[in-house]
Amino acid sequence: MENLLANCVEKNLSQFMFTNAIFFCERLLAEFPSEVNLQLLARCYLSNSQAYSAYYILKGSKTPQSRYLFAFSCFKLDLFGEAEAALLPSEDYVDEVPGGAAGHYLLGLVYRYAGRKNSSIEQFRMALSFDPLCWEAYRELCSLGAAEEASTVFGNNAFQRLQETFVTQRINFSEGANIDQLTDFDKASRDTSLWRTEHVPGENQQDLKIRQLGADIPPDTDRQLNTNGWDLNTPSPVISQVLDAPPPLLHKNMLRSAVEGSLMSVHGGRRIKFSEEMSAEATEGSGRRRSARIAAKKKIPMSQSYGKDSYRLHLSPSESNCVPSLSSMVEKCRIQSSKEATTSGQSISDIGSSVDDEENKNPSESSPDSSSLISGISEVLNLLKILGNGHRHLLMYNCQEALLVYQKLSLKQYNTHWVLSQVGKAYFELQDYFNADSTFTLAHQKYPYALEGMDTYSTVLYHLKEEMRLGYLAQELISVDRLSPESWCAVGNCYSLRKDHDSALKMLQRAIQLNERFTYAHTLCGHEFAALEDFEGAERCYRRALSIDTRHYNAWYGLGMTYLHLEKFEFAEHQFQLALKINPRSSVIMCYYGIALHESKKNDEALNMMEMAKLTDTKNPLPKYYKANILASLGDYHKAQKVLEELKECAPQESSVHALLGNIYKQLKLYDKAVLHFGTALDLNPSPSDAVKIKAYMERLVIPDELATDENL
Amino acid sequence: MATESSESEEEGKIRGGNDKLIIEEDLREMSKNAAWSVSSCKPGNGVTTLRDDNLETYWQSDGLQPHLINIQFQKKVKLQLVVLYVDFKLDESYTPSKISIRAGDGFHNLKEIKSVELVKPTGWVCLSLSGTDPRETFVNTFMLQIAILSNHLNGRDTHIRQIKVYGPRPNPIPRQPFQFTSMEFLTYSTLR
Repeated sequence: MENLLANCVEKNLSQFMFTNAIFFCERLLAEFPSEVNLQLLARCYLSNSQAYSAYYILKGSKTPQSRYLFAFSCFKLDLFGEAEAALLPSEDYVDEVPGGAAGHYLLGLVYRYAGRKNSSIEQFRMALSFDPLCWEAYRELCSLGAAEEASTVFGNNAFQRLQETFVTQRINFSEGANIDQLTDFDKASRDTSLWRTEHVPGENQQDLKIRQLGADIPPDTDRQLNTNGWDLNTPSPVISQVLDAPPPLLHKNMLRSAVEGSLMSVHGGRRIKFSEEMSAEATEGSGRRRSARIAAKKKIPMSQSYGKDSYRLHLSPSESNCVPSLSSMVEKCRIQSSKEATTSGQSISDIGSSVDDEENKNPSESSPDSSSLISGISEVLNLLKILGNGHRHLLMYNCQEALLVYQKLSLKQYNTHWVLSQVGKAYFELQDYFNADSTFTLAHQKYPYALEGMDTYSTVLYHLKEEMRLGYLAQELISVDRLSPESWCAVGNCYSLRKDHDSALKMLQRAIQLNERFTYAHTLCGHEFAALEDFEGAERCYRRALSIDTRHYNAWYGLGMTYLHLEKFEFAEHQFQLALKINPRSSVIMCYYGIALHESKKNDEALNMMEMAKLTDTKNPLPKYYKANILASLGDYHKAQKVLEELKECAPQESSVHALLGNIYKQLKLYDKAVLHFGTALDLNPSPSDAVKIKAYMERLVIPDELATDENL
Repeated sequence: MATESSESEEEGKIRGGNDKLIIEEDLREMSKNAAWSVSSCKPGNGVTTLRDDNLETYWQSDGLQPHLINIQFQKKVKLQLVVLYVDFKLDESYTPSKISIRAGDGFHNLKEIKSVELVKPTGWVCLSLSGTDPRETFVNTFMLQIAILSNHLNGRDTHIRQIKVYGPRPNPIPRQPFQFTSMEFLTYSTLR
């Protein structure tokens, strides 16, 4: 009876009939109380977004799997202290972090949320060393600014690690196979169809799959089902193909990692190519599982299997969207057999053919081929190297390099949502809004359900002042998922463009409600407060954004601007300095830094800063303008005039250039030229208050000797 | 639907009013940073009703004419437009008729800058503070006082349902003499 019930539960879990699973699991636990069954019930609860239930039942459990599950539930409930305690029972035994790579990753996240940066970096590094395919850990490292070169991380050590992992799998597999034949527990109907491409979102599929495998190694089982992780927030059904291969008894553990992966709100999975070994493992896994059920636990190198399983090469939209998903949960990518690895963001299966088809060959073959394993691993690692490199460059704001790196990808990989949104973001950071626009448009067209990066897209449209398109985008995003912070950010941007800052603020606050840790929403809120001149509110928002992610340079920039408005120039300087440290290539920040320096009377530094800004981004006309302004205020009218005359050639339509020139000519007593430029300035549609000012200047020109009062230069 | 409001400049008379409040994009509401006070009010119909964005609630004065609404700012601000919501159909003899708008540094040196007569207004009434001179588009002042000198049908007390005050938008870029107008400059002027 026990096994029947267990099978039933597993099957339900894999088919997302969570309440049914919970019901049966409760019966199971009542009849046969055991740690294993308890964990199964916890899994059911976690799948059903009932982290609190899982928390209660697992409280006090000591076995590694239980501890991992418990820690995960604590994490979901924001009980970071308990999560940490569960993962690290005693400080010395770091090896005992249950769950291997996944456990380290979870612990890293806990530390990160608690603000313990160094500990979190250490944990993420350990996660990567346990399992080089723990991409999320690498992403976190990148965003913390502490990532090493991708070639090191995904280099030889990783290669060896992965090899070891799979070799062990293979060995276990052969053992398992025997047991399979002996035992015959699998009464559950074997749906090989289930095994195959299961277009269902869901994480715990592998469970079922394995079970279904049964004793014989079904040839076709190794269809690789790649699951693509999807953003938790997207309700759109994820087409995921579950990959099998959770090895051992710690199938549960694996599940844990899977669960964690999926529930960790990531989205996009990557399909990695793999050779049959994987499928082999799968089968072996199932065999083992069964044996585990029956008897002892096989002590298999858990960590390795962990690592292998837990790759969720996903992209988390914002560093942690731990928003519990409703029904569609995140996927984790499972390695399966050969087929292609497509980058995440694709729910579409197999876009693009597999690069290496040999691996995918014979499903019927159970014995792994070591050479194909090796080539598989190296291909995956190569892909990861490129992507890791690109991502790292992007987060260090070396946008040009990032773009070059991403160009190296194959066309199929490039055209996936994740990569496209990275490229878009790179253009955005370079202030090349046109290219960013085209990239994001392509990404959105191809993958209208993928929301990551769409907040940046909405900002691009905001910069380009495309009201209609922005409105349309916002509506589309809301219709895709009303519960995703990105959609509300887009709506907020839309209102902001129309200068309706109150509504924009309301929308952005909704985004924050949906995900407290969505840094960009906080920053945007700050911008809206600043536009409403509520500088205290703005400061609050920016600081909150920074408390979540210290490297979010937009928030530093926002703070600097706020202080400039409040005339606290020293503070402003400091903020801009910090922003520059994070993104040393932003000419806009340099300009403002220069302005702050000028206002603090450090004029030489200010001028130098403007020069630097000019050199950094030749397309930016503003450094020249600001420089002229500074020179004029220092009284150096000739130089200022020269600079502005140059600028006038590049930007003849800009009213403020003419207005400033007019003022300078007035100071130089070239009244004719002054009048000419004031007139031009007025023709170029200045803002109403400026128009008034300029007219006032013109009037006073007629009576130059009767010096006007305040109107400063 | 907005009904047209006609204004005959020589006499400063305003008829009718708009149902919808439509304000130009380059103006923004200034009253959040201001201290509002009234010369007198009936309990329950105090000064907060003027700022609550609710057209059902109204301020009712309770004293001698002229009834005064004082708006004081912390620093000198540029103001361009005052908008009132009054409705003859609902308020009849409580509807203000002659209104005088004064500005100055404080109670001691207010000077009248606008005087207008409303004739059966029914909605939002916009009173522009600009003078004829293009240099006088804005009024730069610490304080604004709206004085109700008389009501329709010679009523003693007055009802006003909402008041909004508008001024120009400030330069989003701090410490700059002029605002940017071309796309190029604007694109590079801020980060978001």
